[in-house]
Amino acid sequence: MDNLWKKYHFNQISMRFIKLISLIILVVILAVVPLVVHNPYYMHLLIMVGINSVLAMTFILMLRTGLISLAIAAFWGIGAYASALLSMRLSLSFWLALPASAIISGIFAFFIGYLLVKQGGFGFIIQTLAIGFIIVLVFGTFDVFGGYVGIVGIPPPDPIRIPFLASIHFISKTPYYYLMLFLLLIVVLAFSAFYAAWTGRAWRAIGLSPRLAESLGVDLFRYRLLAFVIASTAAGLMGSFYTHYFQAIVPATFGPFKTIYVHVYAILGGIGFPILGPVVGSLIMTIVPEILRVTEAAEPIFTGLLIILLIMFLPNGLLGLSSSWQRAAHPSENLAKVGRWIKTSLPASISNHQNRK
Amino acid sequence: MGTVLIQLVVDGLAMGMVYVLLASGFNLVIGISRILFIAYAQFYMLGAYILWGLMVPLKFPFPIALCAATLAPAILGGIIYLVIFQYIQYKEQQFLTNIVAAIGLMMLMAQGAFFVFGTESRGMASVFAGMVDIVGIRISVEKVWLIGLTFAVLIGLHLLLQKTRIGRAMRAVSYSADVAALQGVNSNMVYFATMVVGCALAGFAGGIMAPVFAVSPTMGNVILLIILVVMLGGVGSMPGAILAGLILGLTLSFGQYFGSDIGAYIGARGSGGGLAQIFFFAVIGIILFFRPGGLLGQPMEEIPL
Repeated sequence: MDNLWKKYHFNQISMRFIKLISLIILVVILAVVPLVVHNPYYMHLLIMVGINSVLAMTFILMLRTGLISLAIAAFWGIGAYASALLSMRLSLSFWLALPASAIISGIFAFFIGYLLVKQGGFGFIIQTLAIGFIIVLVFGTFDVFGGYVGIVGIPPPDPIRIPFLASIHFISKTPYYYLMLFLLLIVVLAFSAFYAAWTGRAWRAIGLSPRLAESLGVDLFRYRLLAFVIASTAAGLMGSFYTHYFQAIVPATFGPFKTIYVHVYAILGGIGFPILGPVVGSLIMTIVPEILRVTEAAEPIFTGLLIILLIMFLPNGLLGLSSSWQRAAHPSENLAKVGRWIKTSLPASISNHQNRK
Repeated sequence: MGTVLIQLVVDGLAMGMVYVLLASGFNLVIGISRILFIAYAQFYMLGAYILWGLMVPLKFPFPIALCAATLAPAILGGIIYLVIFQYIQYKEQQFLTNIVAAIGLMMLMAQGAFFVFGTESRGMASVFAGMVDIVGIRISVEKVWLIGLTFAVLIGLHLLLQKTRIGRAMRAVSYSADVAALQGVNSNMVYFATMVVGCALAGFAGGIMAPVFAVSPTMGNVILLIILVVMLGGVGSMPGAILAGLILGLTLSFGQYFGSDIGAYIGARGSGGGLAQIFFFAVIGIILFFRPGGLLGQPMEEIPL
């Protein structure tokens, strides 16, 4: 038993090391992309891939706890509108509006989630769908938000002045790309930290079997609400970036259809891969339509066909290919895993007590 | 004022009838086969286009065109089940996988409609022109026909579900697919039949709505409203779908009339439709908060992921 535990521990450490190395390599590769790609349109596509993959990551985060949210784009929109209004009405700097709008989005998520998360399951899907609708209608109907034509003339981020060196102005796509990369890195690191800590283990236990997790003392409501708030905060952060990147927003962008696309990004990449899956999925969903643009109007037809074929033959996503070579886990192994995750996610006093026995 | 109110009620009922038909079909599909069939409203659009195509360029009479508009989407829905969903339905994580396949299908069909029919919306002359006097209130004949036809179809659906063999099998599968399979019900056959009946209802709804509203490729966007209506009524509950569809129709019809006056006070712009919808969605949220299973349904268990 002791031997097994050591092996498990060793595996965890080596996996963490490999993950860290691969993350650094990936970031370096992504950082040199602007030196190679000069076409502004391609840079724009890459920036959109970054935004979409963060949204898809939030989807997987909530899915881990058994919540399928159709309001991801709504919280993205709350962040976007909050940032636009803060920087235009209160003439706040972008660097203050960015965290502020993420926090505002998180606060909204806390209150809305407090009401909705209790139910879980199917009711949650539909209530978030209702919220997805209401947000678009509220943005479109009230004068404060500029109606259905949206808000235009949102200022770009203030230039960063580095002392004794050149200052960075947000004019071309390249600074935006690096800003996107920075935000993506923050979100990835934060999410990985949450997954690695006791919260992540509790989430995985809930995702595998809510009833079992609840019967063993995991508070479903609290962990689900936490996941909802974290996910919405990340979405709000990206919303603020999106606003200042586009410098114009319309309510229709933040409707439930956007959320449905976000689901597609995540599922195509593979929902078993919370960080890499969304990036791969949104990259594929952005690049493939560009390749298929040979026939302009027929492009969504091919994309739709591609989605159907991929989901029929690769139901675990593209990255799921790698794990499908391995042996499928036996159900009892899953149960043992749940037990382990729960044990490690409980407060220290309880688990110590169990260990002493 | 009284006349206006009754007019509004009749308008709301007629508008609600479409939602009732669509919600009943969608309710069948999700309640029995557990497929969140997002491409569903595309069959509604298809039915409308078939009716328009047969009546305006080809000059077929209305009953034949309506039959074709019902049958063609039904056949297409059956084929799609056999080609795509049959293979997904029995795999792991079938709920999520089905949603994605349905999204792909929706993109394909919506853009296909743009490609084939063009972007402009097409109107047609109404089939039942004229007005009828009912105790001093003038109501267009079209709306009376619409309400009557919908009632006939709903009664047929009720008989199908309650009296026939396949209907009993459907109810058994919706209760528990495993137990039904143990009793010798072929669940794959039941899912197939569900899809055919559901798509037939969508095509019929499109057929009777084509003369009233204009036909356009964006008609499929109504799917999000349908999901809400089904949830408000309760998944798997036919009376719930009817009730919720009528509530939506009445809310929209009253909202468009009174909404603009109220909206002027609170800084809202545009017609009253937007405010009415916000009100409707807020009401749905509140009702679902207190009754998670919808008005007349049972709360659904956790979705297996």
